Amino acid sequence: MSPISYIELARKGFPDQPPYQWSTFQDAPFTPMKKTLQESRISLISSCGFYQKDQSPFNPIKNDLTFREIPTNVDLSELRISHNFYDSTDAKRDMNCVFPIERFRELENEGFIGAFVSPAYSFMGRIFMRRELQDQMIPSFIKKFMESKVDALFLVPC
Amino acid sequence: MCHQSVGLIARKVEEAGIPTVSMTSALDITRLVKPPRSVFLNFPLGHTTGRPFDREGQMQILKRSLEFLVEAQEGGDIKELLNVWSKDWELSVNL
Repeated sequence: MSPISYIELARKGFPDQPPYQWSTFQDAPFTPMKKTLQESRISLISSCGFYQKDQSPFNPIKNDLTFREIPTNVDLSELRISHNFYDSTDAKRDMNCVFPIERFRELENEGFIGAFVSPAYSFMGRIFMRRELQDQMIPSFIKKFMESKVDALFLVPC
Repeated sequence: MCHQSVGLIARKVEEAGIPTVSMTSALDITRLVKPPRSVFLNFPLGHTTGRPFDREGQMQILKRSLEFLVEAQEGGDIKELLNVWSKDWELSVNL
């Protein structure tokens, strides 16, 4: 089967509005890996909308520019989800479908990666405010990754 | 929309000197936003890194995806995983 055209799907969902202008680039930046996976400290970030029960929930609709720091040794029963725009039925039963914390712990334990950097990061991905995303949210992520000496980042959209 | 946000984050983090790899379930959006390295898994949204309670499948997907950090040759490269969700699940998505 060929991949689904989500752009077409979005257009049909809003027939009265002009087509959404997706961010489009002709090329992409590239930074080669300096170490092997076995030597690398890897950080995980997902737009899944999970938060710990003692943290505030996300705005489940759109444009929430905050993120939650989730310790990688978190008790998984403490995680909740606020995100209304993907089918999270399976993610609620097994968060590893969209936020593979348990699997990354195992990848570290078996030495496939050097370290699973704590905390992992969760946010609510339905962000239309691209300028604020790029001017506020992304620089704070980069600062965190620099401080925790991350060698590579693994990103999961939902 | 999440795919666009994740792509924009990956691009900026990569520009700051940290290699990234981004999973994707939406190949058409990924082709526009062009994260530095993408791994396409043709599963329904909500299953970006695998099926529920399928530890082995999830591990295989994550390992093949992490390996792309090292394998990718240039910015915008996309690796497609061959895992099949079901024969024709795409037909049930309303286009």
